[in-house]
This record gives sequence, C-alpha cells and structure tokens, in this order.
Amino acid sequence: MMNFLTSVEQSGFCTWVRQSTSLFAFPGILLLHTIGMGLVVGINAGIDLRVLGIAPAVPLGSLEKFFPVFWIGFWVNAITGTILLAADASAKLALPDFYVKMIFITAALISFRMQQQGLYRGVPADKRPLTTSDKVLALTSLFFWIGAITAGRLMAYLGPAGGPDAVK
Amino acid sequence: MNFGIAPAHFHLLLNHFPTVAFTVALGLLICAVIGKSEEVQRASMVILFLIAVLAIPTYVSGNAAEAALHITENVYQAKISAHESAAFVALIFMEITGFLAWLGLWQARLLKHIGTWCTPVLLLSSIVTFALMANAANIGGDIRHPEIVTSWTDSPSGTPAGPLPAAAVRKFVTSRLWVWPTCETLHFIGLCLLFTVVLIVNLRMLGMAKSMSSESLYQLLPFGMVGFALNLITGMIFFVSKPDQYVVGFAFGWKMMFVLLGGLNVLYFLLSDKPWSVGKDDDAPLSVKLAAATAIIAWVGVLFWGHMLPFIGDAF
Repeated sequence: MMNFLTSVEQSGFCTWVRQSTSLFAFPGILLLHTIGMGLVVGINAGIDLRVLGIAPAVPLGSLEKFFPVFWIGFWVNAITGTILLAADASAKLALPDFYVKMIFITAALISFRMQQQGLYRGVPADKRPLTTSDKVLALTSLFFWIGAITAGRLMAYLGPAGGPDAVK
Repeated sequence: MNFGIAPAHFHLLLNHFPTVAFTVALGLLICAVIGKSEEVQRASMVILFLIAVLAIPTYVSGNAAEAALHITENVYQAKISAHESAAFVALIFMEITGFLAWLGLWQARLLKHIGTWCTPVLLLSSIVTFALMANAANIGGDIRHPEIVTSWTDSPSGTPAGPLPAAAVRKFVTSRLWVWPTCETLHFIGLCLLFTVVLIVNLRMLGMAKSMSSESLYQLLPFGMVGFALNLITGMIFFVSKPDQYVVGFAFGWKMMFVLLGGLNVLYFLLSDKPWSVGKDDDAPLSVKLAAATAIIAWVGVLFWGHMLPFIGDAF
C-alpha cells in the first residue's frame, strides 16, 4: 500500500503539482478548491439559513435553481481534492484529521440529499409549514459544513505543509 | 517586484481622507439633526460608510509606510507605535460606525424613512470615532511633519500609558498556538457566508432563479455584511499580529484593491433603486447585471489575492 502511494506521489504530474513554482500547480489547484468550497457551502448554507427563518421572503422553491452551482462546486472540489491528496498521499492519509474531514463531508452530503428529498420532492416546502425535522436537518447541515471547513483548515496546521518548496 | 514605496505613498495620500471626510460627515449629521432633514442625514451616512471602506486600506498601508521610513531612532519608533495603536482603536470604531450607517441605510429602504434608533446611535458613535480618528491623525502627523512638533518628549499623545491595543492583540495571537488556526477557520466560514449572499443575490440579478423577486433578496443583505464583518475582524487580527508578512509582495495590495471595489459595489446596491425594483420573473436591466457581475468579480478577486498571499507574497 505504502509503495503504491509513494509511486503515485512520485508520478510526473504529482511531482509537478508539489514542486512546480507555477501558479497553476499547487496554488491554482488549492485556489479552485477554495472557490469550490465557497460555491458548495455558500449555496447549501443559503438553503439552511432560509429554512431556519432567515430572509423569510426568499421563496424556498426558487433556491432549487441554484443546485447546479452546488454541484459544479462539488465536482470541482472532488477533482481538485483528489489531486491535492494524490500529490501528498502518504502524509495526508496518515493524518486522522483527513478522515474527520471526509466524515464531515459525507455527512454534509447525506444531509443535503435528505434536504433535497424533504424540501423539493413531494409537497413543495413553499406550500406547507416547515417542520421541526426540516429545521433540524438545516442545523445539522450547517454543523457538518462548519466541521468540514474546520477539519480542512486544520490540515494545513496538523500535517506537513503541502505545496511547493516556495511556500515558507 | 519592489512594492516598498507605493503603499507608503498610498498611506500618505489616503490618511487624509478619514479625518477630512469625517469632518464633513459629522457636520452634515449635525446639520441633519438640527434641520430635521432625512436627505442630509442620508448623505452623511453614505460618507460614513465610504470612510469605513477607505479606512481599511488606509490602516493596512501604514505598515508599508513604516517600513519605507527605515527609522531606527527610538523617539520615532515610539511615535510610530503610538500612532499605530491609536489608529487601530480608531479603525475599530470607524468600522462599527460604517456598519451602523450601512444598516441604517438598508433599513431606511424598507421603512421608507430612517429608523428612530439611527440618529442618536450614529451621532454618538461618530463623535467618539471622530475624536479617536483625530487623535490617531495627530500622532501620525508628528511622524511626517516634525516642523509642527513642539517637543518630542513631553507630547502626551506620544507616550501612551498602559499596554498598546495593537501590541496586546499581537502578543495574544503569537503566544498562543491555537489562535491563528481558529481565526483562519472563522475567516473561511465568513467567506462562505459572504458567498451565500453574493452568489444568490447576484446570480439572480444575472438571470438565474428569476422566480425570486429582488424584494425577497433584500432581506439577505445583512447576512452578507455579517460574513464580511467576521472576515474583517479575523483578517485584521492576522494583519495586526504579523504585519510584516503582508508588506512584502503585491498580493495583499491587490486584495485591498478588490475589497475597495467590493465596498463600492455594496454602496451601489445600497443606493440605487434599480436592482430592488426587479420583480418576480423580471429580467434585470443591463446596468444591474453589470453591477452583479462586478460584485462576483470583486469578491472572487478578494479570494484570489488572499489565496495567493503565501505564494506571491510572504504570508501564510
């Protein structure tokens, strides 16, 4: 297993990501990862906050139109996240914090899918009063995303610093 | 790229605005109270908001100005740290005043008049801020204009008693390992909250989810300000704690330029009636679409340059 991870890390592409001083290598990929986070959490938090009673005039039904933005962000992050992991696999996979982040993201995605079912399938949420379970789901969603952001941010401090040697 | 001199000039140019414009804003506010004029009060609130926006680059360019001075004499250094700390306190109050002015203007559109809380609260915070700002400017003036200094040693403003606020924050952050990562995490949470509002409001204006009326979106705006406030606070904690790492390179300067652009964009959405008369299923006019695109560019630009700090500049 360790051999496999090392060979992935030593591949030409991963070495480029790790060592190149080009802004398109590590800096650019990490930038896309942050923008992706903004899209995913930004949109989902909008739905959560609306369910929790913020900006009540915003029609919940229309927020479904922003789901493609969420999914664009999600796929950008799935791809950039995989690259960032591959470039530094043995160190990142040895970090418990990495698994904590994955658990939070999985939980957040499950709660997003449950929200999608609850709010937009069957009787639309605009046409019925919001239930306690809608609100609990919105709270857990916010909690899971905050957890994912925290765990993700801490990877920079708990693990070895990623990126090119240019990063001091 | 050597960026040592430009921000220093920037500081010397910008630092006159907060004090001078504040005199105008406070004067207008007092006239508005005496003459009971809502219009004049609005004008003063707009200026207060603008000064709050300008005060951010004014403050952060100060460290570059300090670096450009290459001063080793103790007497100057004491002046500079006194100026920095006075400016830090003034900035905190200026930003609070700016947020209150924004909130007052935001609410005035809903109520069709300025809220009753607004006038006394703004008057009080403006007077306090003005005093602090004038004090910071006065100490700052001593650094650059030695001709007006009567005595370096007995100047009361030059020898502050007790711990300096900026230095206290710096010590707190750098002596505790958990503070920086915690602030970084909060900075990212604030970013997401700001993105929530920037994305939903501006993508709607650009034609997505047209079934939303702009009236409903208006309710979202304060939460974007909360996100920005969170990032301003955590961002200033970073800056005050390790100012030197932001002076190197041009990334931070660009980040501040985009913050300025974002601030002006916020002002457009605060003052123009056009975005808020877009009804359900309406297409927004071209000018509103341009402003919406500018908003997204401005905030993604802030994110971009902030992100590039460790790579182009020297920060982490």
